[in-house]
Amino acid sequence: MLVPIFTLKLNHKINPRMVTIGKFDGIHPCLTAATQAGKVFIHNPHMRGQRQAAHRLSQSAQDSDISLLNINQAVSCLTAGTLGPNTTGDTLLVGTQTNLLAYDVHDNADIFYREVTDGANAIVLGKLGNIESPLAIIGGNCALQGFDFEGNDQFWTVTGDNVRSLVLCDFTGDGKNELLVGSEDFDIRVFKEDELVSEMAENETVTSLCHMHGSRFGYALANGTVGVYDRTARYWRIKSHSSLCHIHSRSGSGWKLPPKGTDWWNSDRTGEVIFKDNFSSSVAGVVEGDYRMDGQIQLICTSVDGEVRGYLPASKEMKGNLMDSSVEQDLIRELSQRRQNLLLELRNYEENAKQAVPGISDGDTQMGVIPANTQLQTALSVRAATESQKAHIELSISTPNETIIRAVLIFAEGIFEGESHVVHPSSQNLSGCVRVPIIPPKDIPVDLHVKAFVGGKSSTQFHVFEITRQLPRFSMYDLHVDPESPQPTGKVTFTINDRPQRVVMWLNQNFLLPEGIDTPDVTFTSLRDGGLLNISMLSTSGEITLNTDDIDLAGDLVQSLASFLAIEDLQAEADFPTYFGELRTTLTEVDEYHSVHQKLTAAIADHSNHIRNMLVQAEDARLMGDMKNMKKRYIELYDLNRDLINEYKIRSNNHNALLACLKSVNQAIQWAGRLRVGKPKNQVITACRDAIKNNNVNALFKIMRAGTASS
Amino acid sequence: MEINLNRIDYLQVGVTSQKTMRLLPAVGRKATQKVAVADYDGVITCFGMKKGEAVPVFKTLPGQKIARLDLGGAIGTPQEKIFVCAGSEVKGFTKKGKQFLSFEANLTESINAMHVSGADLFVCASYIYNHYCDCKDQDYYLSGDKINDIVCLPAENLGRIVPVLACQDRVLRVLKGSELLYDIEVPGPPCVLELYNRDGGTNGEDILYGTIDGKLGLIRITDSSSSSKWEIGNEKKKGGVLCMDTFDIMGDGVKDILVGRDDGTVEVYGFDCSNEPTLRFEHVLSESITSIQGGCVGKESYDEVLTATYTGWVTGLTTEPQQAEAGPGEEVKMSRETQSKVASLRAELDQLQMKVLQGREKYQQTSQSSTAVSAVPMFSVNDKFTLCQDDASYSLALEVQTAIDNLLLQSDVPIDLLDVDKNSAVVSFSECDSEQPNGNFLLATYRCQANTTRLELKVRSIEGQYGTLQAYITPRLQPKTCQVRQYLIKPLSLHQRTHAIDQDRPMNTLSLVGQFSFAEIHSWVVFCLPEVPEKTPAGENITFYFQNTFLGTQLEATYCKGESHFKSDNISTISILKDVLSKEATKRKINLNISYDINDDSVGHTLKMIHPKLEYQLLLAKKVQLIDALKELQVHEGTADFLIPEYRNILDEAAYLLEEYKKQPAHLERLYGMITDLFIDKFKFKGQNVKTKVSLLLEILDNYDLDSLMNFFNEA
Repeated sequence: MLVPIFTLKLNHKINPRMVTIGKFDGIHPCLTAATQAGKVFIHNPHMRGQRQAAHRLSQSAQDSDISLLNINQAVSCLTAGTLGPNTTGDTLLVGTQTNLLAYDVHDNADIFYREVTDGANAIVLGKLGNIESPLAIIGGNCALQGFDFEGNDQFWTVTGDNVRSLVLCDFTGDGKNELLVGSEDFDIRVFKEDELVSEMAENETVTSLCHMHGSRFGYALANGTVGVYDRTARYWRIKSHSSLCHIHSRSGSGWKLPPKGTDWWNSDRTGEVIFKDNFSSSVAGVVEGDYRMDGQIQLICTSVDGEVRGYLPASKEMKGNLMDSSVEQDLIRELSQRRQNLLLELRNYEENAKQAVPGISDGDTQMGVIPANTQLQTALSVRAATESQKAHIELSISTPNETIIRAVLIFAEGIFEGESHVVHPSSQNLSGCVRVPIIPPKDIPVDLHVKAFVGGKSSTQFHVFEITRQLPRFSMYDLHVDPESPQPTGKVTFTINDRPQRVVMWLNQNFLLPEGIDTPDVTFTSLRDGGLLNISMLSTSGEITLNTDDIDLAGDLVQSLASFLAIEDLQAEADFPTYFGELRTTLTEVDEYHSVHQKLTAAIADHSNHIRNMLVQAEDARLMGDMKNMKKRYIELYDLNRDLINEYKIRSNNHNALLACLKSVNQAIQWAGRLRVGKPKNQVITACRDAIKNNNVNALFKIMRAGTASS
Repeated sequence: MEINLNRIDYLQVGVTSQKTMRLLPAVGRKATQKVAVADYDGVITCFGMKKGEAVPVFKTLPGQKIARLDLGGAIGTPQEKIFVCAGSEVKGFTKKGKQFLSFEANLTESINAMHVSGADLFVCASYIYNHYCDCKDQDYYLSGDKINDIVCLPAENLGRIVPVLACQDRVLRVLKGSELLYDIEVPGPPCVLELYNRDGGTNGEDILYGTIDGKLGLIRITDSSSSSKWEIGNEKKKGGVLCMDTFDIMGDGVKDILVGRDDGTVEVYGFDCSNEPTLRFEHVLSESITSIQGGCVGKESYDEVLTATYTGWVTGLTTEPQQAEAGPGEEVKMSRETQSKVASLRAELDQLQMKVLQGREKYQQTSQSSTAVSAVPMFSVNDKFTLCQDDASYSLALEVQTAIDNLLLQSDVPIDLLDVDKNSAVVSFSECDSEQPNGNFLLATYRCQANTTRLELKVRSIEGQYGTLQAYITPRLQPKTCQVRQYLIKPLSLHQRTHAIDQDRPMNTLSLVGQFSFAEIHSWVVFCLPEVPEKTPAGENITFYFQNTFLGTQLEATYCKGESHFKSDNISTISILKDVLSKEATKRKINLNISYDINDDSVGHTLKMIHPKLEYQLLLAKKVQLIDALKELQVHEGTADFLIPEYRNILDEAAYLLEEYKKQPAHLERLYGMITDLFIDKFKFKGQNVKTKVSLLLEILDNYDLDSLMNFFNEA
């Protein structure tokens, strides 16, 4: 239970998720948030009117408590904390799509300003692993980078997709922090420095992560799910109505913040809602700090409209009042509710027993009476593409008798647009069999929770059959092979010390096979792109070869097989000629975009100088009363301005293209890593990174193929 | 004046219908009152509270579903006899639970409203009103639309009993004998009537009414006329009023109005010095409040508001302060009474659990047998599908006696599902290909959070597109079943009944002549328009008036056997009617002679009606667009003084503008759609297809100006 203790109106919009609190002078906590148009504001109610405007910082004319910091670029993330040694106050770190700024608010000076090509979507400040100095770690497009107080790049690695959330937490329990990364490919990855320790697959973009205590951390997804993991095991999760933007945790409890303007407070043990409060607009973020300087830590909640509320946990005597006797009332109510439910269920059975005597009256058609031995049959099968339908997995559900299936609801995470898929035939097409086409977009194992409404044709009440079927990980692969389709050129080869039977077991579990197979040598057709996938194993040496053109798929297969066989380290040789060819082109493109970028930057600087001159000339002309010249100058200025805007557009396009290329390069490194397991995997990633740093393209490909740089 | 009421749950009975709980008058010096409540299972439970526990006085055997419960007794004596109506039967019980009356009213339909006064009994069954005195038939009246409730002004002051019927067609009908004295229009379909101050006020002439769309008011009814004393609107879009009572809960000597609504809101209205009702207290229970009454039940000398909810909870909101002993540590100590209560409940639960397990096993066994059938009794669903006047959308409320697990919505017409803030269920839209033979336009699932017994949704329809919306409700109850409910989206779905229209508007007329009966044409009208009684009206011919809730255009429908006329100032309305009626007639192979008289002025008139709405919306959209930019400027410059007044004004009103803008999403698109329909329909009647010109029209709308739009309509 919490009690609100103060509210403020700041009159500034606040960007969601970009709120922090920092003691910039070492004593007074200041609420700091990113606002629209590339500004950061600092709310400092403690030192009224003592500051002078200078450099980046300017006092807001409206409100003396607020200072504005001009970033001149859209801010994408923000944090504050201790970065360097021997600094009195906290350092403010502001990330944009291209740069990272470390700023000393107290001294009003930049500490460093670094260009980060991969952008900064998320930022976290703290100690990581064995690295001594605290790092500012930013997550961008597939890349993670850590900077120390001098702006030196101390840490770099790649991850699967665009990073959306970061948190530092002692995941392994060794007293050192690991980095947890939530990304757009629905995964939470744990990095022990640059080594990937574990991966947890979720079913939506991971929008927020927070450390709770020990090895426990909370996460939030874009679809409104919030939950807690203890290491790799999920503790609990619940899904809410509105999507979440930020979670925060404190002394074993966590906030989750749906943008609809509500705060919920979850206990970490059960996931119960402890406290709820409504804002009139979306919540931008939650921080904690001693904002009243009275020794108590408050929770401070901000809404996007600039409303700020502070909360304190209710004191003991308050608690008595707030909780009143509703606890016992609730208990009694809950028990009575359960009693009522049981009574109703009992009544159902009793009535059913009465009906069970054969002899059907008129009322039965409405009630949806079905034979008691009705059981649903379900079957999963792979269907190749036809003229009218794309290739899909077919789930067929049928009843054994004359009853019909009115509708089928399938609840499953991550494979449909929403969380459910419905098949509702029109009343003319009712039958005892329903076929549901399923096309999972990714290779993930999915539990299908099927609810089928079974009854008579004119029933208004139906029996609900609930069945759970599991869709294996690699279900979109068909054993039927078109002999004319070209053989894949890409391949991965690695050796395992296991019997072929174990591989066969893995195949049977992870692929959708009509009848089991008994040899590890199989060929599949991918239903997504029609490409072939060849798996073969030499039983003598244990060498497995995967033939496919899809490097991502190859990586998935290697990872899945390795975890099935519990292999810790696996080295592999790979060759994907087509893909490597594309990558080579991309790398040249990156160079081109870089040079274009530099050229454009120079041109723009040139133009801005022109504008400055022109403006001075025009104003001179105005003061001299030379209207003709003034007009001329302003017309020129107008043209120049237009040019500048056009140039900006070109630059922005160029930048976006560059970002896309860089993302695919990062992804390539990640995929190359995923072809190996354990140590070899990390070696590949580090070696690739070095190759890119040194601009050694040939070495890069060599590493990707062989797994090591040497030899 | 503040009042603090604390909630106490007394007990739970079966599902209850409206007005089925009453407090018996206090006996002798004992101050606490007994409660009588009747439920769907036909059981009347009468209980009193002793030391915090509900002690039953009596409980009757199950029977037919009880629709109403009333108290009566000889005039001048305490009103402590309990009367209930179940099916077409009225039963009377003494306060001890002895049945003394069983009266079969011999009606074909079951009774849904009842009033008892002395030896007089008044019952209503959908359209029929009957008055019995000493169980002998007295008066009879057939109403034009469904009767929702009845109340009678007491005989003491007027010399005779005056029954007042609340009818679905937005009127209160005042009767005299078997004749209609006069009728009173109220702002919405009334669904509950109550005597003010329980006796009709000082002159016994005042009655309170509550409507389905959440409005309430006080009306004074005299011999020849009526006057409205006050009216409370429903700006906050709360639920419909289901029950009311007058009771001085504030303890200030002035009687307050207690109101229970179908969204679970309990309200107390007090009166200030100017005798205007003001809201004093509000509490939200999670389910429909079916009955409400003020009195004293739990503890002597503490008044309370007693409510009964749809799922059968009898709950009190008491003035008794709740003292909680905050024990050592975190836990709050439970009182001994509650502890014993909890213990007995737990014991009962264990027993039930055993029984249920046995039942489950038996049920499982039957699935082995090839002859047995599985039939689960229907669970009751309380549903309401109503048109909201303010934003011209439908609201669908569903309530089940146990928690809802999930809800599937399916529609074969294009409709929009709107987000409702109150709703905590997780919505998921499934893709549906409308061209396929399945013809689904909307498939959505709602997965409910635990303990949701009530769901509210909002649906926006398009006039001219008609079909059915189906809701499949699955409660969390084993064996799992689901029930389907169907809701018709009528062709003229946005129309609403009114009682008078403006005759001066330029009207278009559609006339149908053919070999159809009165019943047939009536059924077609029912098919096309909402709020028309299903029963064919008495008499030779009938006229209904309607208003379009979105545009404010009107429709007059007059028809009799073999002939019908529809008049509307909106050409689109006429066009829709023409299409639907001719289709219906063809279906039944009836030859129709359709003629229409199109008034060209009507199009201009409708456009002028739309104009202020459209202009306002366009301006609003424009202003809202500017807000962010202006705010940015203000922040940058530190002041807004340099802006022109117009912009400064926008900044000042920013909050209000945003709120207005949020209120009616897609309003502009809907207006555009209607103008486009108007355009197409106008030329359709002239036999021209102008669909190719629609893009031109949209261009004009983008740079809207009334004159150019009018010109376009005239020239094209």
